[in-house]
Amino acid sequence: MAGHLLELDNISKYYGNIIALRDVSTYVNEGEVTCVLGDNGAGKSTFIKILSGVHQQTEGSIRINGEEVMFDSPRDALARGIATVYQDLAMVPLMSVWRNFFLGSEPTKGIGPLKWIDKGEAKRIAKAEMAKMGIDIRDTEQPVGTLSGGERQSVAIARAGYFGAKVLILDEPTSALGVKQSGVVLKRIVEARNQGLAVIFITHNPRHAYPVGNRFLILNRGHSMGSFAKEEISIDELTRLMAGGAELEALEHELQAAGAVSPGGGD
Amino acid sequence: MSDTSTATAERPSAVYTGGDERLAYRGIFQRLFIRPEIGAMIGVVGLWVFFWAVAIPFGTANGASNLIDFASSPLGIMAVAVSMLMVGGEFDLSAGAMTGAMGILVIMLSKAAGEFGGLGLTLWIAIPLSLVVALAIGWVNGFLVERTKLPSFTITLGTYYVLWGAKLGFSKLIVDQVQVGDIRDSDGHAFWVKIFASSWTRNDHVWGPRDTVYFVALMLAIALVVLAAFEMHFERRRSGAKAVGLPVFLAGLGGAVVGIVILHTTDGTSGNWLGAAVIAAGTIVTAIGLGTWRYEPIHGRGPVQFSGAVAKNVGIGLVGIALAIVIAWRMDAYNAEEFIFPFTKQGFRATLFIFFGGAGFVFLFIGQAAARRVNTTTRCVVNAALAASLVVLAFFVRWESKGDPTDPNSVGSVKFRTEAFSVMLGLALVIVAWTVLSLMFEERRAVDPQANKLGARMLMLAAVLTTVGMAVKLLFVVQRELDAGLAPATFSVRTLWFLGFTAVAVFVLGKTRFGSWTFAVGGNKEAARQVGVPAARTKTQLFMLVAGAAWLCGMLLAFRLNTIQANTGNGEEFDYIIAAVVGGTLLTGGYGTALGGALGAMIVSIATLGIPFSRWNSDWAKLFLGVILLLAMLANRSIRTKAEGMRR
Repeated sequence: MAGHLLELDNISKYYGNIIALRDVSTYVNEGEVTCVLGDNGAGKSTFIKILSGVHQQTEGSIRINGEEVMFDSPRDALARGIATVYQDLAMVPLMSVWRNFFLGSEPTKGIGPLKWIDKGEAKRIAKAEMAKMGIDIRDTEQPVGTLSGGERQSVAIARAGYFGAKVLILDEPTSALGVKQSGVVLKRIVEARNQGLAVIFITHNPRHAYPVGNRFLILNRGHSMGSFAKEEISIDELTRLMAGGAELEALEHELQAAGAVSPGGGD
Repeated sequence: MSDTSTATAERPSAVYTGGDERLAYRGIFQRLFIRPEIGAMIGVVGLWVFFWAVAIPFGTANGASNLIDFASSPLGIMAVAVSMLMVGGEFDLSAGAMTGAMGILVIMLSKAAGEFGGLGLTLWIAIPLSLVVALAIGWVNGFLVERTKLPSFTITLGTYYVLWGAKLGFSKLIVDQVQVGDIRDSDGHAFWVKIFASSWTRNDHVWGPRDTVYFVALMLAIALVVLAAFEMHFERRRSGAKAVGLPVFLAGLGGAVVGIVILHTTDGTSGNWLGAAVIAAGTIVTAIGLGTWRYEPIHGRGPVQFSGAVAKNVGIGLVGIALAIVIAWRMDAYNAEEFIFPFTKQGFRATLFIFFGGAGFVFLFIGQAAARRVNTTTRCVVNAALAASLVVLAFFVRWESKGDPTDPNSVGSVKFRTEAFSVMLGLALVIVAWTVLSLMFEERRAVDPQANKLGARMLMLAAVLTTVGMAVKLLFVVQRELDAGLAPATFSVRTLWFLGFTAVAVFVLGKTRFGSWTFAVGGNKEAARQVGVPAARTKTQLFMLVAGAAWLCGMLLAFRLNTIQANTGNGEEFDYIIAAVVGGTLLTGGYGTALGGALGAMIVSIATLGIPFSRWNSDWAKLFLGVILLLAMLANRSIRTKAEGMRR
């Protein structure tokens, strides 16, 4: 067990007397995707905030390559190679693609203390990295606000990868997207995984999670419903666990209808 | 883009590899107008031209020097600094009071002890010390805003009143007066007055070749702008450059230059006409040669189709221009005494003329845009109507300038009108050349970064040349003008501080990490913080930058006026914010430029000084200012939304 890149052991989080998360354990390795599934209010947000260093867990431990760590701040988590792509995207819509890509870590050149941004280099790299993701940004000067939701997610993912993230946490990347755009983002997740990143993919949609995930952690009302490898669980099982068994008939019915337009993500 | 109903309008798709098919190609004007400061630049030129036509001082170096000085400090410098702060998403209401406070501080620190109870420090210590105090106040502003998360509006409102009270309180306490002075007694004044208040009188510097330099620089600049527009608008020849066009291009260019020389060396009417004809022919030949050399021949340009929108807008436009001419023709041009509302009769006439003429051209442009959606030929017909309107107006303005040579007040306007005549004819010529090229060569449909880069460089060079030409014209005097008994123009070092500060601000905002972070914290602070931008530090530094600028303005004020009133600067902060917004900076942050702030300051200054310069009823000055500011902001908004078509 000591060999896992990132491992969580019985994490709990209390806000006063409110139990947001209790005894959650899972792990992720290089080139793997661990999906965290749960309905609204299941504790997914708390889970991410602990991983990305915004909050600290009340109990339990986080280990990176077997070494126990505690994240004091988002910067701290970032320095340890854990990059989070938030639901609200962490993008500045009015700024250009290349400026967003390098925001906070702009390459500079200059004489002595007089330094300016190496614009040509920054644009070239941004374009090349986006191309690696399979997106051809013709003009990196265009504001990020003009990109589609899926493309914005792709910029954020490409950025995290370029700046040396080892673990990529994606917070509901597909929730605001259409069917086709979700497919695009799922493809990016697979590409990031193939490049050797460990991905933690948070979603409430088992249809998005199942094709790309290696492992599934299911949360319900702050409790872990278990962590399963892909071989151990079917998509129906996954859905039932998420919903806590309630209204299963109706759900299954609905899913069968939705199954016809299942996004063609994955490999 | 192309009309699918007419087969002729269909064009083979250009060299367009990949890219996002949902991103439509943006034409050259859209690409130029996307700069936030373009609206302000047009505003400066338009307002200047307007007042040039009605107010004599705007056409003279003396008036220009006054105006530039007025715009420079504190308004200009502060507007630039405040623009940066507003891009960073914050306000500073204490900025105005701070300028006066720093002036008072440096005087109090440096006054000899005993006389009024000052500290008697040498200026060599007092000046840096006051800078430290200013930066500390800026830091406190930033610290409080960051710590409390309260809107900077409220925090700096508090600082504003603190400074206001401190200025008056300390002045009364120490000097027992509401004005503090005199800085001339201070140690080190002889040196520092050169830094902060030296000036240059233009009549002391006669330079014969001035007009030649001015003229050549401007001509080159115009040629560069036109070439850049061609380069960015037309599609490169797919089969590589065709050398045949090059000699034609050069021959045409040579012809145009010969024409200009003829125009300038002859005085007679026939010589002028010959020169003008040679220039026109040369320009057209140049355009055709250039096109043959570099651009792809057109594939199908479609028949003339005057659809509803085109016909309507062009019709309204032509009527507007005709109305303008009739009004100007029937009304009294030289009555600067009688008033109609805020204007003199003369001013009223000019306002109506500009209003109808301007509206006419706006409708013509709308018609042109509508024709653009139909096909190339239709657009070229509308362009021809545009050029023809310009020519008619040019001749009308020239005919009119024969007016009343006995009235000394009309001299400045006559000078304006003769210059306007050649400018309008030149513009018409450019449109004709453009139209000819549009009929012959293919428009670009896809992004060509190489051509854009070349075009951008040419535009940059043109801007530099224009600036040099204007500076030479403003800074030097020729013997002829001295003989005419010209009023002396004085340029102060304040202008240099303003230009220098603006240049540094433009560099910092556009090219450095700090500039990038400024946009980021103003656009989406949480996002910036998440990716590791030190948001709090950036904002605090911006507040310190504004405070530093206020300190600079305080020094400039102190050394110009020698004594400072306790209320100096109070209330001016709104002017800074207005200038920034007029210059294209978004009130909500995240968008804007430093250059826009400087141009906004110019607009506010022209609007403020234009009324007294025109000898209009100054009771209405604020109303006029308000209307101009409203128009400027509306124009900014429409330009921005049109050009970006952005999802917000």
